[in-house]
Amino acid sequence: MDSVVQLQRQLVDYTVQLFNEGFLDDQFNQLQQLQDESNPDFVVEVVTLFFEDSERLLDELAKALEQQSVDYTKIDAHVHQLKGSSSSIGAQRVQKVCIGFRNFCEERNIEGCQKCLHQVKREYSLVKTKLETLFKLERKVLAAGGSIPWPM
Amino acid sequence: MAAMQRVASSLGTSASTYGSCKGTGVKVSDQFPAGLRVLVVDDDITCLRLLEKMLRRCLYHVTTCSQATAALKLLRERKGCFDVVLSDVHMPDMDGFKLLELLGLEMDLPVIMMSADGRTSAVMRGIIHGACDYLIKPIREEELKNIWQHVIRKKWHDSKEQEHSGSFEDNDWHKQGNDDAEIASSVHEGAEGVLKDQKKRSIAKEEDDAELENDDPSASKKPRVVWSVELHQQFVSAVNHLGIDKAVPKRILELMNVPGLTRENVASHLQKFRLYLKRLSGVAQQGGISNTFCGPLDSNVKLNPLGRYDIQVLAASSQIPPQTLAALHAELFGHPAGSMVTTVDQPALLQASMQGPKCIPVEPGMAFGQRLVKCQTNMSKRFPQNVVSAEEVAPGFVAWPSNSVGTVGPGSNLGGMSSQNSNMLMDLLQQQSQQQQSQQLSSLPEPSRVINVQPSCLVVPSQTSATFQAGNSPASVNQNYSRSPMIDYSLLSPQSNNSSLNIGQVSNGDLKTTGVSGYSGLGSISPLSSCSVNPDNSSQQVQSSTMTIRAARQLPGLGPDISNFQVSYGAKSSEVLDQGPLRNLGFVGKCTSIPGRLAVDEFESTMSNLEHEKFYMEMNGNKVKQEPYVEFTDNTRVGIPILSQLPPTSSDLMSVFTE
Repeated sequence: MDSVVQLQRQLVDYTVQLFNEGFLDDQFNQLQQLQDESNPDFVVEVVTLFFEDSERLLDELAKALEQQSVDYTKIDAHVHQLKGSSSSIGAQRVQKVCIGFRNFCEERNIEGCQKCLHQVKREYSLVKTKLETLFKLERKVLAAGGSIPWPM
Repeated sequence: MAAMQRVASSLGTSASTYGSCKGTGVKVSDQFPAGLRVLVVDDDITCLRLLEKMLRRCLYHVTTCSQATAALKLLRERKGCFDVVLSDVHMPDMDGFKLLELLGLEMDLPVIMMSADGRTSAVMRGIIHGACDYLIKPIREEELKNIWQHVIRKKWHDSKEQEHSGSFEDNDWHKQGNDDAEIASSVHEGAEGVLKDQKKRSIAKEEDDAELENDDPSASKKPRVVWSVELHQQFVSAVNHLGIDKAVPKRILELMNVPGLTRENVASHLQKFRLYLKRLSGVAQQGGISNTFCGPLDSNVKLNPLGRYDIQVLAASSQIPPQTLAALHAELFGHPAGSMVTTVDQPALLQASMQGPKCIPVEPGMAFGQRLVKCQTNMSKRFPQNVVSAEEVAPGFVAWPSNSVGTVGPGSNLGGMSSQNSNMLMDLLQQQSQQQQSQQLSSLPEPSRVINVQPSCLVVPSQTSATFQAGNSPASVNQNYSRSPMIDYSLLSPQSNNSSLNIGQVSNGDLKTTGVSGYSGLGSISPLSSCSVNPDNSSQQVQSSTMTIRAARQLPGLGPDISNFQVSYGAKSSEVLDQGPLRNLGFVGKCTSIPGRLAVDEFESTMSNLEHEKFYMEMNGNKVKQEPYVEFTDNTRVGIPILSQLPPTSSDLMSVFTE
């Protein structure tokens, strides 16, 4: 059906765009490759886990930076984890901000950390929106009877 | 080929048991590597889910755990149900390296570390702690496909070791006996250099050797005796009571009075214990590796100056191979987010090690003290404090107090009387602990608990440190910190054995890197923030991580202060570091001076708290394989020799202290 093909093309284009803009990297491909019949929702499942975990981490980070005496070790631990999980799903831009964030932590630069927190929050919400859009498109394709052209 | 066949057969066996422990009950065919039973531990559930999926696609049998403590519990309950463990480095409830060490000690499982942190220093720590591999996140499926190689490799090496273990142990036993005798004689005679190797054999040793030799082959075939913490403590008490030189399995058995325990069990355990002690004492002999060791670490040096010094002291005093010291320190210090980085220590260690040997032989007492003094000057002001305490610490031990070499050096007070020494050690330990406390260690939990582990020898130190409280140690340092210098020691010893970075690589090959490193890792793990010890200060039952520390304590010389050590470690203050190593040193020293007496007491008390097995495991890489407890003994063994080396009066260390 035309709509299916169109939808599929939309999906592909959107995905390519995300890769080009650096929101996603090859790790996301790996993720998609892991999806199969036994786990048809694997990607969504893992990404959802990532969202939940990240939001928790971001909350913790905000709290930690608000403290009178900032515990940089704790912040570093959180950022490290965020870095790990974002890299696992291929959220490249989030991961990159985390790297800079950790440097500021090491320097105990409160302003740098706050700036990075702001940045990482922004990147996170961006990639979250993008991925949610992606998943929506996928569902549309599937609903229209098409198949998802992964891996790409 | 034979080895391969053995490995293959063992694998085949394990393969056939693949399905046995699986929760799902899926029968895994014997097509290795399919069906490999993997346990994944990661607090990041995103990664966990991802890894699980990838491993399943590799046809492995996967069990996931988001908490290290839960994973440890699971592994303990279902020993033999897993072939390999994948663990993240940064976890909230327990440091991945600590888990790594524990696993290596307790169950000799291959452990692969994972982390988003791919810095050389972090990877180095993984190596030091005994990880089979270190994967950098994000992990790809291809990397996971290959993890089975570590299982095979380990099994292969294990079977090789066992193959040679009989002859090796026999030969080694003699050698060790000799060495022990040598140490003892040198100590008692006030031999100039602790490092000297004298070929004297005490009659008692010969007897023991003969006994052990005879027993060993048979013991190895007997059903394994689980040397629990309590049992080991009893053993150590008995040994201390008899005196390490005169401890024969029969008498030990009688003293222990444990039903069901055979003389062969005791003999085998004793042999390991002696090996351990020997390793501790023989560490100093090895040198040169420090270079290698220091090399990689340089990148992140954040080591406490103290840590360095400690090692120096240790090297100087206890003849611990620089590398070992370095390794220990590295471990201890390097724990927190890799910040502690051993690298710093290493350079220091190297120096220390270099200096150490020189110092000691030259001027038995003076050299050490002098060196210490020198170190002191270098050290931060904290050191001076330490220095003082070092003096008090037994000569030999002075070297250990990691905190400040200075403490060791000034050891002028040491003068070396055994009783004095022990007291000194205690004092030193106390001081260290105190210092540490004031400095940073905030939490060190009851030192006594942790440190006491040291088998027979080291027990004493722990007492001094606050933990002792048991009052075994003459000095009864019990003051707050019992940070176990011992811990350092233990770290050292394992390392020393290796003389290479691999901590825990006993020269004999006994030590398992895992064990050693674990131990040291333990020490390091306890950084204030992460140390399990810290939080638990009060309780002996330090968290699992602490436990490891404790185990370390048990290691002769490691001192119960492991927890302390850790704490200090976390504090990221040099102080912390100083304390630890120092303590260990002191602790060790004490042991020698008060052989058995202190050690036994403390050991027992600490043992109960500590996870004995862990400790053992660490110390004894090889031995662990066979008996978890064995590991421990080795450690203890190591500790004891050290003690012997540092006779209150004769050892150089002692004199150094006095200096």
